Amino acid sequence: MAESELLDAEEYRRLCDYLYRRTGMAFTEARRYFVERRVEDRMIATGSSSFASYFARLRVNMEGEVEKLINAATVNETYFYREDHQFTCLTSNMLQERLRVKPPGEVLRIWSVPCSTGEEPYSIAIWLLENWPEVDAHDVEIVASDIDTNVLNAARSGIFGKRALMRLSAGLTGKYFTRAGPEHWQILDELRQSVRFTAANIVAQTETRPHGLFDVIFCRNLLIYFDDTSRRIAAENLYESLAPGGYVCLGHAESMSRISPLFEVCRFADAIVYRRPLEAKHG
Amino acid sequence: MADGKMRVLIVDDANLVRLYYRQILEEEGFEVEEALNGLEALERLLVSPADALIVDINMPQMDGITFLGALRRQALPLSAIPALVTSTESSADDVAAARAAGANFYHVKPIGREVLARYMAMFCGAPQ
Amino acid sequence: MPLIRSKCDNAAAGVLREEPASLASASPDERWAAARAACDPACISSLGDALALELDARVRQAIFTALARIATPESAGVILPYMRVDDASTRTGALDALRAMPEAARPHLPGLLVDPDADVRILACDLVRDAGGADGPRWLCAMIETEPQANVCAAAVEVLGEIADAAAGPCLSRCAERFPDDPFLRFAIKVVADRVRAETPAPRG
Ligand SMILES: C[S@@+](CC[C@H](N)C(=O)[O-])C[C@H]1O[C@@H](n2cnc3c(N)ncnc32)[C@H](O)[C@@H]1O
Repeated sequence: MAESELLDAEEYRRLCDYLYRRTGMAFTEARRYFVERRVEDRMIATGSSSFASYFARLRVNMEGEVEKLINAATVNETYFYREDHQFTCLTSNMLQERLRVKPPGEVLRIWSVPCSTGEEPYSIAIWLLENWPEVDAHDVEIVASDIDTNVLNAARSGIFGKRALMRLSAGLTGKYFTRAGPEHWQILDELRQSVRFTAANIVAQTETRPHGLFDVIFCRNLLIYFDDTSRRIAAENLYESLAPGGYVCLGHAESMSRISPLFEVCRFADAIVYRRPLEAKHG
Repeated sequence: MADGKMRVLIVDDANLVRLYYRQILEEEGFEVEEALNGLEALERLLVSPADALIVDINMPQMDGITFLGALRRQALPLSAIPALVTSTESSADDVAAARAAGANFYHVKPIGREVLARYMAMFCGAPQ
Repeated sequence: MPLIRSKCDNAAAGVLREEPASLASASPDERWAAARAACDPACISSLGDALALELDARVRQAIFTALARIATPESAGVILPYMRVDDASTRTGALDALRAMPEAARPHLPGLLVDPDADVRILACDLVRDAGGADGPRWLCAMIETEPQANVCAAAVEVLGEIADAAAGPCLSRCAERFPDDPFLRFAIKVVADRVRAETPAPRG
């Protein structure tokens, strides 16, 4: 396929419309090049000769095409310091805001769900130690959950390959990991102890509720795979799992605007995040 | 783009309605942004404000009237962006609700090219 | 090194009280909890009663979710009257819930598409997008042959633009002929007619 634009402006907007309605992923004109390349890959993989025929396939979700395009567009592979602008936002804004309204001395609770093989919750732990001067002044609890017990076991073992570590500097790798083989590194015991891993299905209230209330929840790159009803239930479970005024962070392409009106949108310098309102709205 | 164009955000869940407004407004020299519901519009505006809004009433997740109410409670300059509400609903109740929520004008669909351009020029000052 | 620590107790669980909440409680939090727990078809009528009285937007949302989870034509039926209320946010909540239960909403669509209230017909067109299934294009094509209101036709054309194939071409042009003076409808029909022509997949093989 030629280097020139694959989709005309209207086709691009229709594709974005469809993806937004179907998955909650929100792409603007600025992401056009990125999205077009992913679509191009999928068109080649499916042998679609034109955008129209690919789009027809996508809309009937032939052979799970929606999920395949989501995977292509979100990089369905987790790694350390992924989307770290949200971690910047965590230490420069969200935690400060939470500390302002929490009774002094209360534990700050952070939930990574889904945590997959553990890169995300361990990243949060490292980030806090590295970038939050107040880390020693507060108790922070990090809980990490996933529906898949295999990934949880991998997460608990804390052994990672090169690809997972690619965004970490050599300094950080040296400081927080020990070599566990020619291609593998294991995260330090202290860090392994600092994250509690649990199994939880985010769509099951009986499994989310026992985790209690959190100040910040990272729920990245999961809701895009759900249908409307599961998304609604998940949003309600997230709402219930947040302390009033607590925050939820979604993946970079995801927008709560398609998922639920229960939260308020907040713009900080480094990220757009969503907040459970401090006071319940009425009317 | 910093070419001095006035920016209009269209808030409407109907693809063809947005396309129709977009073509007219681009020909009239406006820069156009789109949002499919009120929540998405709020999110967009927090990232980059607009000079004028065209807002539908019935939309998923957050309707146009709730959106205007939420917008008018934001800090300046967001809270002051002028808004034209366009809807297929012509009942007096809807008009009153839209006005109470902060609509500057209310226009029952359909809306022709000249009328739309006139509203936007009024909101923005005529573009060059 | 870290003050980060792993708590393995279950202190956090103590925050939650376990007592059966009631949809008629004075506390919105209790009503929210009760609505969330009511996801069995036996709850449809109590959810319906609660919906009629509920003023809290968040609780109403939870009731809609519960009805969407039950996902039967009966639970969809409880929601239908809320498509015609004055309050726009309640209408939005009702439609979002119906969109989330396409199979359950489907049997109601033919009736909604011929509702005496044009505003309801417009909203019904939008539901066809998700809930119409294979019948969707046929229903909307039939509608735009006779529908007297241009705005309703426009809503149908919008959805046809997403679900129809080339077979919709002739009825689109007949609709355009009936409303020569509506600038938007003329535009919309032209765009959709071009689209459905282009998008009919070439026969495979
Ligand atoms: C793409 S990964 C996201 C990992 C990480 N949050 C990130 O953004 O890099 C998706 C994860 O969601 C998990 N998952 C799928 N369905 C789930 C559910 N209903 N509840 C909890 N986790 C789920 C999968 O097991 C998988 O590990």
